[in-house]
Amino acid sequence: MSAPLILIAGLLWLTIATSGDQPNFIILYRVSRALSSLLTGFVLAASGCMLQSALRSPLVDHYILGIGSGALFSTYIAILLVGYSLPHVTIASVVGGLIALSLTTLLAEKMSGSDIAYVLAGLGVTALFTGLASFTQFFVISRYQYAVFLMLGSFSIATLDKAIYALIPVGLVLAGYALLAKELNVLLYGDDYSRQLGLDPRRVRATTSILAGVASSITVAYFGLVGFIGLVSPHIARLLLKTPDNRVVIPASSTIGSILAYSADLLSRSIAVYTMSEVPAGSILFLVGAPFFLVILLARLAGSSK
Amino acid sequence: MIVTRDLTVTYRPGLPPALIDVSVEIESNTVTCIIGPNASGKTTLMKAIAGIIEYRGRILIDGKDARELGRELHKMVAYASLVDTARGTMASRVIHFLLSSLYPVKRGFWDRSEDVELVVKAARRVGVEHLLDRRLDELSAGELQRVVLAGALVREPKVILLDEPDAHLDIAGKVWLSSYLKSLSKGHTIVVSTHDVLYALNTCTYYVLLNRGRVVFVGAREDLVSSKKLLEEVYGVSFEVVDIGGEKLLIAKYA
Repeated sequence: MSAPLILIAGLLWLTIATSGDQPNFIILYRVSRALSSLLTGFVLAASGCMLQSALRSPLVDHYILGIGSGALFSTYIAILLVGYSLPHVTIASVVGGLIALSLTTLLAEKMSGSDIAYVLAGLGVTALFTGLASFTQFFVISRYQYAVFLMLGSFSIATLDKAIYALIPVGLVLAGYALLAKELNVLLYGDDYSRQLGLDPRRVRATTSILAGVASSITVAYFGLVGFIGLVSPHIARLLLKTPDNRVVIPASSTIGSILAYSADLLSRSIAVYTMSEVPAGSILFLVGAPFFLVILLARLAGSSK
Repeated sequence: MIVTRDLTVTYRPGLPPALIDVSVEIESNTVTCIIGPNASGKTTLMKAIAGIIEYRGRILIDGKDARELGRELHKMVAYASLVDTARGTMASRVIHFLLSSLYPVKRGFWDRSEDVELVVKAARRVGVEHLLDRRLDELSAGELQRVVLAGALVREPKVILLDEPDAHLDIAGKVWLSSYLKSLSKGHTIVVSTHDVLYALNTCTYYVLLNRGRVVFVGAREDLVSSKKLLEEVYGVSFEVVDIGGEKLLIAKYA
């Protein structure tokens, strides 16, 4: 787990070093923004990896499972009720994310519990909460002008406070990694297999999904729906390391997630910035992530009838 | 020695029990076969002993109540089944699968060189050391069967429960497995479930015959051969006793 932390420190240093003699408040904004993208990428990639292992489905992340849109909708509700305050949106996003996660799990398990069932159930839940969020958005904008950015996922709304708050989900995924990485490796081979080794698969699955669900929900409250990092990063990590061993795949995935989010943010504030101001980082990630998702879905369904 | 007392297993309320008052004693240092038709409770009995499913009644392993053994139970008892082992959906390799089988005896977060040594040793014993770096989803069913067997051996348990270990093996594999289990039984308690009565007769010392969740026969090989009538009743087919080199075997008759 030290690799991603070194990377984060390195990129932060780079951000400061390249800022030259800009005024302090600009350097502070740049650092907050860089830190926000790095930490969010870290959390989403680690959560995605944990969710994929726990649910034994390589096709999911917080966005596909509906956790993201559930968290977004409840963040909007919190903003409507009390305005945008970090403690409130944090709690609200967790509640919404967990409700969406439970709904998806319940529906998917009713269907068959297969990896495809999770994608389909997640699709329904995402549609439901995205619809609710779009509907609420009109009212939310009057109370929080950046509501649209939350829908699209952007680090342009980063502040130092948010970056510091983002350390909460980082702590959660680090705890999840230390406590559950070894157990998730066992879970990969089936429930009865785990039980004969003395591991309760339901306990591991529930603890992991809740930790990953809570961590990824919180990032939604601060930077919005940043999709596909959690889906793509674990795949790249497994491909590079040629193993599903979560003890190495989770840190590698987090490193890749940090790089992806940082790069997407870098692009978002570089390309097209003179013609149409900023493209949200979330949109860039959707553009890259959606074809990737379709490719692995195609490989999964075309490759076998299992 | 494994002793079960009035073992009853019900999977779901409303369903008939999968096992009803099963009381058997399974000797150490032997290969014991659990035979019986489909849905007779073979797998359920093994899963109960392995602590995979809930049961009423008692199971004693070397005189100790299995429920009180906790983590020790999973160090002592291994259960291997091809059916219950997922091939892993994420490019899983044989070595990773076998290392995960060390879970009950493993200390620490990372694999130590001793762990890898145990895995290589188990793989060598069942002839899969050349497969260690292969992906699980690329193995043939026969290769996977051997890998699953290696997974049961890797933590060096006292009791080894094998659910249909002969399925998917070619004839050479079956003959090898039979003699391997006999040699392994010195120092271990081996319990094997199989559909193949002839295979059981060639492999095991003691037999437990289950029918609809109840034990209908426990005994040695000669007793089983002389219980031809009972077997015919349970399986609903006719058997013929054949004498091969002085050994009496049972072969099912085909119409």
